[in-house]
Amino acid sequence: MRFIIPGATILISIVYLFLTYNLPQAHVGDPDAAQKYPLLIGYALLVLSVLYLISELKNEEKVREAFRIFSDKELTIKVIVVLALCLVYTYMFEPLGFLISTIIFLGALLFLINGVKKWLLNIIIALVFSFATWYAFAELLQVSLP
Amino acid sequence: MKIKFKWMALAMLLATFIISGCSSSGDAEYPSKNIEIIAPATPGGGWDATARAIQNVLDKEGIVEQNMNVVNKPGGGGEVGWQYLKGKDAHDISVNSSLVIANNLLGQSELTYEDFTPLAILATEWISIAVPEKSDIEDGIDLLDRLKEDPASLTIAVGPALGNNDHLSFVRVAEEYGVDVSKLRFLVYESGGDVLTALLGGHVDLATFSLSESLEQNEAGNIRVLATTADETIDGIPSWQDQGIDFTFPHWRGLMGPPDMTEEEIAYWDNALSEMVETEGWKNVLENNGWDNYYMNSKETKAFLDEQNEMYKELIDKAGLGN
Amino acid sequence: MGVDWGSFAEGFSTAIQFENLIFIVIGGLLGTIVGMLPGLGPATAVAVLIPVTFGMEPTSALILLGAIYYGAMYGGSRSSILINTPGDGSAIAATFDGYPMTRKGQAGQALTLATLASLVGGFIAMIGFVFLAQPLAQFALKFGPAEYFFLLLFTLSAVVSLSKGNMLKGFISMFLGLLITTIGIDSQSGVYRFTFGVPHLSEGVDFLVVIIGIYAVGEVLYNILLLKDDSYRIKEDVGNKWITKEQFKRSFWPALRQSPVGFLIGILPGAGGSIASMISYSTEQQLSKKSDEFGKGAPEGLAAPESSNNAAAVGAFIPLLTMGIPGSGTTAVILGALIMLGLQPGPMLFQNQPEVVWTFVNSLFIGNIALVIMNILLIGFLIKILKTPANILYPIILLLAFIGTYTLGYSTIDFFILMIFGVIGLFMKILNIPSAPLILAVIIGNQLEQNFRMASVSYDSVFGMMTASPIAIFFVIITVLSVFLPMLLNRLARIKR
Repeated sequence: MRFIIPGATILISIVYLFLTYNLPQAHVGDPDAAQKYPLLIGYALLVLSVLYLISELKNEEKVREAFRIFSDKELTIKVIVVLALCLVYTYMFEPLGFLISTIIFLGALLFLINGVKKWLLNIIIALVFSFATWYAFAELLQVSLP
Repeated sequence: MKIKFKWMALAMLLATFIISGCSSSGDAEYPSKNIEIIAPATPGGGWDATARAIQNVLDKEGIVEQNMNVVNKPGGGGEVGWQYLKGKDAHDISVNSSLVIANNLLGQSELTYEDFTPLAILATEWISIAVPEKSDIEDGIDLLDRLKEDPASLTIAVGPALGNNDHLSFVRVAEEYGVDVSKLRFLVYESGGDVLTALLGGHVDLATFSLSESLEQNEAGNIRVLATTADETIDGIPSWQDQGIDFTFPHWRGLMGPPDMTEEEIAYWDNALSEMVETEGWKNVLENNGWDNYYMNSKETKAFLDEQNEMYKELIDKAGLGN
Repeated sequence: MGVDWGSFAEGFSTAIQFENLIFIVIGGLLGTIVGMLPGLGPATAVAVLIPVTFGMEPTSALILLGAIYYGAMYGGSRSSILINTPGDGSAIAATFDGYPMTRKGQAGQALTLATLASLVGGFIAMIGFVFLAQPLAQFALKFGPAEYFFLLLFTLSAVVSLSKGNMLKGFISMFLGLLITTIGIDSQSGVYRFTFGVPHLSEGVDFLVVIIGIYAVGEVLYNILLLKDDSYRIKEDVGNKWITKEQFKRSFWPALRQSPVGFLIGILPGAGGSIASMISYSTEQQLSKKSDEFGKGAPEGLAAPESSNNAAAVGAFIPLLTMGIPGSGTTAVILGALIMLGLQPGPMLFQNQPEVVWTFVNSLFIGNIALVIMNILLIGFLIKILKTPANILYPIILLLAFIGTYTLGYSTIDFFILMIFGVIGLFMKILNIPSAPLILAVIIGNQLEQNFRMASVSYDSVFGMMTASPIAIFFVIITVLSVFLPMLLNRLARIKR
């Protein structure tokens, strides 16, 4: 558990450094100019992440405490489902258009979080709110929505 | 009840397919539905302003009967908007500029100007070279002489990106005068406004940016504009031509449509746009923005773009930006 | 240069014309509403409402756009305070103590306090505008790449030093932010960095998407995890609208003294509200005797950044109106609109059409008062949002986050970025990693690099850069102080013990 975050930042910095070394050279001025600053950031992050990892070794109890938030399986699954719904929404958004995808997305979220028992309220909110935002953005604010 | 909801969604889905299917299948006279003008930029920028001005004038003067909407598709210096245009039918048109040529040559885009149907060039801006008020550089020729001697002796502000017209036009004039352009020291600022600030504060030795942004400060005596890329003297400012260098460089704006537009569709826009550029409304737009009329119809535009493509190809290689 | 009181009076009489008063009220209200939505800050509010001004009298259009901008500045902090979702960079600092106040059941007071602090900031800045516009514009020009670089460095160090006893996490958070800003075209060399062939990424990651992800999405995910934990519920009781004597006493001086700070930073082109509010927040924390209450709902921690960012908003108009240079994203959009309307802001505007400038300044005065009244009236309505059951509120916030994101770039690619940062925000919250350094780094990281690179073309060495001007030296010194002074004081305190 306690290695997840420092591990992730170490991984990020290594991948980042690798990508930086593979950056194309600049054709104007100093050919390495575009790489120097990313290199600095990459190494700084790597060093700090290692220090962080070491400090977390001492904090085992604290980190375990913090991660206790995931102990409720039901709610953890809900968060994962919410993220999955966000992903589905992203893929629906342009093909289905704003209105339909939003009604489905908001409806699904409400069913998930507000519960199936309040289905009528959920449907009403999903419909009314989707139409209202569509009207406000597309019609009143002239924002181009798909 | 949950099932019912699903059916409802499905029914609505079907309904939209049917509706959208109907409107595009008819053989009615062009344009047969709403027209989208694509601004490949966020609201508030130059392309957005151009698109909204075109929409406004075409609508107010009653030149186009159909409803027109401006759609913002920003990103990648026009790339995102033009990719979008490529997949549309003739009811979508987009604002463009020389980037439609340069992006590909700079290796930033797969799209070329030949992927689209040119409709018109509408307006142009000219580009100016300016120095701080206290600079001891006397005129355009003096400037070029100094750079010829030592190309790295002066810092040059440009914005917002290398490879844009402000940058390339200066590379071109310097190159023609025999300056080693690969050694020029450009500082790239975020916007034309930042370029102006840097110049006013004396943080750079000279700047290349649009004349509409430099004109007023020149009048107020805060900076000195040495030369413009125009083909004539503007407000007492000599062009490069006036100083004996045979060179003009427009920063033009135009319109294009998706690939494979029919003759009738192109003719429709030739009519509409040639009418538009004559209106008072459009002339006001030009004046407010500091643009010059540069109208070319679809045929002239095509020839012009071919010519521009050749020029940019050469220029980008010389600037060291080619791939 | 003295103030042209004749034009000032003329401007006042134009500004209080019935038609213009209506524009002030409508603009302020529209701005407030749009500004409250996550992701829709002043720049977007003005941009999407520009078409409304087509065909209007230029002066009235300027008044309307100014009012929208102003309204959005007031509105931006509403969502920060109520749902921990800043609408814009300049409203981030309002979440630090504003949201904890809401959690404590002081939402009404937090809103009133933010409104009054904004008024103080706006007023002081306008007085500054009237008397000092021209000389200050000249001062701002002294900022070249080296000066900007050290100003930005100071801002970063000030914010990292906020994460007391947690500096390591603060630095990691900051470097992650800086890393994100290297995505996109490198403007000095034209090289594409880390874009993976996605054209949308060539302009970099929009910092607002990161903000919405970390705050709005992260907060919602965190709340879902705690749905069963009643102790984390926002108190149903939203408290009194009226601030207490103690809150007033604690916030009065901080609001007053941070206004000039915000004003001066606002004048610098490219700096603006986010930097102003962050600097104000961190200096107040350093100065405060109750600095351990910061982040837990200290009233001065809300008042200081709020007065500062509103003062910055007024300051941003100085380069716009005196030189035609937009000092911020929002003023850039306003400049575009004014040019469309045939009004060319610039050095000649003060000479040729002084009445336009002074009408506008007066409209800001009136607009500020109108906005305070409107916002206090709105409070009763706004806190009803909190009474919405959490189960319904969270899905709606999530949806608004997505829509807000879409309006920023019109691309669903940003949705992925939004989700990634939502998850990052969740973990940062769980592990108590400070998010302010990351956010600030994302906002200013690109400027930091580019200014450094430009400065290294102009100066031969880093030392040359540091001694480029008295301004540069000043920022170098306070940067060093901001990092080491707290450490030193800490040491001293320990030795005493």
